[in-house]
Amino acid sequence: MDNSIYVGLSKQMVLRREMDIVANNIANADTTGFKFESLMTKEVPGPPAFTLQGPSPIKFVGSDGVARDFSQGGLRRTDSTLDLAIEGQGFFKVTTKAGDRYTRDGRFRTDDTGRITTQTGAPVADEGGGEITVDVSKPGQISISSDGVVSQGTERIGKIGVFKFGSLSALEKTGDNLYQNASNQQASAATDAKVRQGMLESSNVNPIVQITKMIEVNRAYEQVTQMMSAQADLSRNSVARLGKLQ
Amino acid sequence: MQALRTAATGMAAQQMNVEVISNNIANMNTVGFKKQRAEFQDLLYQTVQQAGAQSSDQGTIVPTGIQIGAGVKTGSVYRISTQGAMTATSNQYDLAINGRGYFQVLTPTGETAYTRAGNFSINDQGQLVTQDGYQVQPAISIAQDATNVTISQSGQVQVTQPGNPVPSVVGQLELASFMNEGGLSAQGSNLFLQTGASGAPVTGTPGQTGFGQLMQGYTEASNVDPVTEITALIVAQRAYEMNSKVISTADTMLGVANQVKS
Repeated sequence: MDNSIYVGLSKQMVLRREMDIVANNIANADTTGFKFESLMTKEVPGPPAFTLQGPSPIKFVGSDGVARDFSQGGLRRTDSTLDLAIEGQGFFKVTTKAGDRYTRDGRFRTDDTGRITTQTGAPVADEGGGEITVDVSKPGQISISSDGVVSQGTERIGKIGVFKFGSLSALEKTGDNLYQNASNQQASAATDAKVRQGMLESSNVNPIVQITKMIEVNRAYEQVTQMMSAQADLSRNSVARLGKLQ
Repeated sequence: MQALRTAATGMAAQQMNVEVISNNIANMNTVGFKKQRAEFQDLLYQTVQQAGAQSSDQGTIVPTGIQIGAGVKTGSVYRISTQGAMTATSNQYDLAINGRGYFQVLTPTGETAYTRAGNFSINDQGQLVTQDGYQVQPAISIAQDATNVTISQSGQVQVTQPGNPVPSVVGQLELASFMNEGGLSAQGSNLFLQTGASGAPVTGTPGQTGFGQLMQGYTEASNVDPVTEITALIVAQRAYEMNSKVISTADTMLGVANQVKS
């Protein structure tokens, strides 16, 4: 009889986790290059709380994984020279103290030595993993072509690397809009991705979908809690009745 | 419940966004003002299940992990140093920089501050000063009987005096440029100070390679675009509302949990 309460509890735990993920999506609805996530669930077969006659399948709910939707976010124009967006599959590579990281957030700038860096100061890698340095004492605007070639005036000073992975699911988020390669797969050059200068990729969170999801989670949580309450009432009533019969 | 705290970070971030946008709009007509942008990043992730972890002795691996994000944070408030439009004022002491560079100003504390606001005046000693009375460096003095002041594109200051048809050179203005303009620290009154992030100033004459030209009789308008700012304000307001909605939903869920009969 307690089984349904335990099944309900497993659903409650999953719903809370789902709510946390929806909250994170909504909090990052305005974060450049953010990709929204959703929780995948699975059935977890488990032994019932006590043995009944015959086969008694019981399935709990468990979290299976977090699916990340890497679909393209909308591009918005900023006209800032070092704002870059990637159109298509691919990531910029940045060299942090903790190792190589990948990002879709192209809000770059130059540091005090002229290197192109992210907003946290990590240098942006070129196609070979090196750094790109701008010399501001030289004339000419910085222009970046759609294949990532950085030119200052007429002189080519480097090429911003855009990399892709065979499987995106092995990427791990480390915060600061960065992804870490958690598997042994190698990044390869993304030749079909286009770099757009003066544009940024908005977060691909769709507010309507997320709010709908949140209402769903809320209602499901209420329902499963009601179901558990009903089950508890049932237990209480049966104990009371059995007591009277004696 | 994590969702409560996550949504709180979202509301805090949007609040800061509105503060930055309102400062931009408030300075829409400030000479030489450069707009700022609040930049957001996602916060840390709690890894519940590691992607790529071994899921059996046979070497199968977990294809997708479970990571729960903790919300959003403001990574930086970035100053966008694009050129502002030129406004003709026909005031002979108004200077605009067309291109890179900053005017150097001596503050009362003896530090050198940098500014793009070239709406200068003359003080009682004939020195070229900012609106706050801070002297422009290198110091330029204009004689009291000067009838006309001409400042060339390359920063040469010439005055015409009565009885002398040939204008005389009284000074040369210089500009300073920085490797990373975004790293300058704003001091208010349109002034900036150098920091470790901006790099050391490099001085040069206007029009020289890497420096902009001066335009006399013009001021540089702020580079704030009202339409962009208002759109950003609407987005920020809606995002704020959504996050508050998350808080109330998480609260409802906690309330439901509290009402469970034992």
